[in-house]
Amino acid sequence: MTAFIGSLAILVAVGSSIVLIAQGFRGMQQASRSTARHLKRPVVGIVGGAVVAMAALEFGILRDDFSIEYVANHSASSTPFIFKVASAWAALEGSILLWGLVLAVYIYTVYRGMRRTQGQDRLGSGALLVLGIVSLFFFGMMLTVSDPFRVCIDPGSVGCFGASNLPWAASLAALEGRGPNPLLQNHILMAVHPPMLYIGYVGMVVPFSFAMSALMLGAKGTEWLKRTRTWTLIAWGFLTVGIVLGGLWSYEVLGWGGYWAWDPVENASFLPWLTATAFLHSSVVQDRRGMLQAWNFVLVIATFALTILGTFLTRSGVIASVHSFSQSAVGPVLLWFLMVVLVASFGLFAIRVNVVASSPRLDSLASREGVFLLNNLLLTVFAFVVLVGTLYPMFVEAFSDQQVGVGPPFFNRMAVPLAFGLLMAMGVGPVTPYRVARGAIVWERIRTPLRLALGVAALAVVLRYRNHLLLIGILTATFVGFAILRNLYHSARTVSRAREIALPAAVVRTMKSDPGYWGGQISHFGVAVLALGITLSANLTVAAEVVLSPGESASVAGYDITYVNQFTREESNRSVTGAALDISRSGNVISRQEPRLNQYGASGMTVATPAVDEYLTGDLYLSLRTINPESVTLEVWWFPFIWMVWAGGFLAGFAMLWSRLVHKPKRESKPTERVTTSEN
Amino acid sequence: MKTDIRALTGWAVTVVLIGIVAVGLFMGDTRPQDRAASLGSAIKCPVCQGEAIIDSPSPTAQAMMDIVREKVAAGETDQQIFSYFQARFGEGILLDPPLAGTTLLVWILPFLVAAGGVRLILSRRRPAEPAHGEPS
Repeated sequence: MTAFIGSLAILVAVGSSIVLIAQGFRGMQQASRSTARHLKRPVVGIVGGAVVAMAALEFGILRDDFSIEYVANHSASSTPFIFKVASAWAALEGSILLWGLVLAVYIYTVYRGMRRTQGQDRLGSGALLVLGIVSLFFFGMMLTVSDPFRVCIDPGSVGCFGASNLPWAASLAALEGRGPNPLLQNHILMAVHPPMLYIGYVGMVVPFSFAMSALMLGAKGTEWLKRTRTWTLIAWGFLTVGIVLGGLWSYEVLGWGGYWAWDPVENASFLPWLTATAFLHSSVVQDRRGMLQAWNFVLVIATFALTILGTFLTRSGVIASVHSFSQSAVGPVLLWFLMVVLVASFGLFAIRVNVVASSPRLDSLASREGVFLLNNLLLTVFAFVVLVGTLYPMFVEAFSDQQVGVGPPFFNRMAVPLAFGLLMAMGVGPVTPYRVARGAIVWERIRTPLRLALGVAALAVVLRYRNHLLLIGILTATFVGFAILRNLYHSARTVSRAREIALPAAVVRTMKSDPGYWGGQISHFGVAVLALGITLSANLTVAAEVVLSPGESASVAGYDITYVNQFTREESNRSVTGAALDISRSGNVISRQEPRLNQYGASGMTVATPAVDEYLTGDLYLSLRTINPESVTLEVWWFPFIWMVWAGGFLAGFAMLWSRLVHKPKRESKPTERVTTSEN
Repeated sequence: MKTDIRALTGWAVTVVLIGIVAVGLFMGDTRPQDRAASLGSAIKCPVCQGEAIIDSPSPTAQAMMDIVREKVAAGETDQQIFSYFQARFGEGILLDPPLAGTTLLVWILPFLVAAGGVRLILSRRRPAEPAHGEPS
């Protein structure tokens, strides 16, 4: 019954998508048919279908309905509640359903935006037409190659071996489910990271659909850009937070001591982030100076295409990774869709670009626009490096028998200089005037931050830290941070003098006076903290392998680790073996840590869970290799200031809230007074 | 006069700081480098999913790491050690693509794209003299 309702809901979403395409097309053609009223029914149909389908899947999982193949193969009655909820998107079919649900919500927000304005809206209709096509594709997949509601017709004692796409087929329930992949039922972040990432990933479809609509209509100007700014920022913010959460998950769960491995799947989420970041910046240039109109279309198309490519890479099984759970027919379908997206959108772009885009030329490279261009160049090359490095091994393997490896050493060597360049641009750009910038003005604004950053780097040298990457990283990251603080201080001081208010109040007022600019600066500050965190934790890591017998201690980075005893305990879904360790500093025990090995019943797989002892100065990271009552082998790391990576990343992502939620204070008096915060 | 002295002091401080950092960079890292670890991070674990042998707890990776440590201790060069593993597992065992052969393109393509981008940006500059009938 649950499967039947779920399938029916997906069918409704598919039907509604077709209607949305038709209505959107008519609205685009005829202004009188382009009001929200004409588009209401299909939008409600898609949202309703997606919500009911997801609810049905959750219901099936929570009720342990093993007559549904997905539930039988990806959940178990012993799975803890939170991981049952998360298993609705932990495997292929469910993750595609989550894609569809998030897409449906975005479609609804676009529709609501149209309803609020009440008027005729051909651009919005066209956007909904494009959204309808994307929606048809994804819900169509859920009816065919990626059906989450297949009913089990060949049950085993554990899991399901054969299933039917026909929801009315006589179903037989498996006795017990297989349970989620052990790696995916190990940490609470599993419930948070995928939805966050998908809200970001899928959100890129909104600017894409409006861009396509503008191209189809030959609509000149920045309307499509301005109308989608909020979606772009929200999607970008969630994508940022989603990626950081992914790194945090990897760090807390996988036990190899890192958070980023340039794994193809990590790259798949990073690629659209890079182009979306470039787009966020270049759209400012179009908004302010009318430049880069054609380029913005390219970036938006590329970003959306990269999200489809990412979905293909993660879900098709072409790459071996923790995210690719199964081989299925989804791969070729997604690849075809990617081809269609690329050909159709770039084809449309090529035909219409001369109609919609005309760009004034650049006055001078030494200007805010010039730095924006540098930013775009660096981000684009960065994206290209990641793209080539990710796809190259696959291409070589597909067209010859050879295997080649392109791994972290390649990416690091390419990415690090690009990152330094981006940081320098980030320090200089926001204080560089538009049009033509005189060197003296820029120098006046950056000399103090530069000196302070040099001071910090010099201090590091005096303290005997002389690693190149460490010093350059400290220099560039602190330069960005100081540059933002100086900028804020100067602007606030001007406000404070003009209005005769205290400096703290002036700071708040300054930041509210231009929420877009200052939201960006908060985000930059987050990136600077993130960069400093990466620099410190990567270059000052202390690693050691220690073997301890009970009562014995070893010292790593000033912390004494004592093996107390071995413990075992049975939990509903796993049996746990771990080492109890006392962590002490100068003789005082300050914490008890328990790195463990978890053995999962159904699969028999053993997964190690590290223990992370967090301090303000860094993390003591303990990973269990082998254990018996007589001795324990531990891999121990000390990662200084690694919290900066998470804190900076979250700050960078959530900073978009400032630019969207804060409203400019109303001008009370003195209309002549102009407070220029952004120094342009 | 007063501002002159201030500016001069500022410059002097800047020069001294640059000097210190430059000396630090020039002297380089004083800590001993763990060659085995850096080699281990450039060799792929053949039985894992995209992990380097230094990061993987699997017995195969650990055994390969032991071989790397032995060879480092025996004084073999990086190239000798890479060749040893390449001969046994194929070219795909290296995570750091060599700047030659099949993987030459991976290194070159990004630079070509960067050069193309720079050219594009320079071509979008306003010409020094006002152009006649600029099509834009």
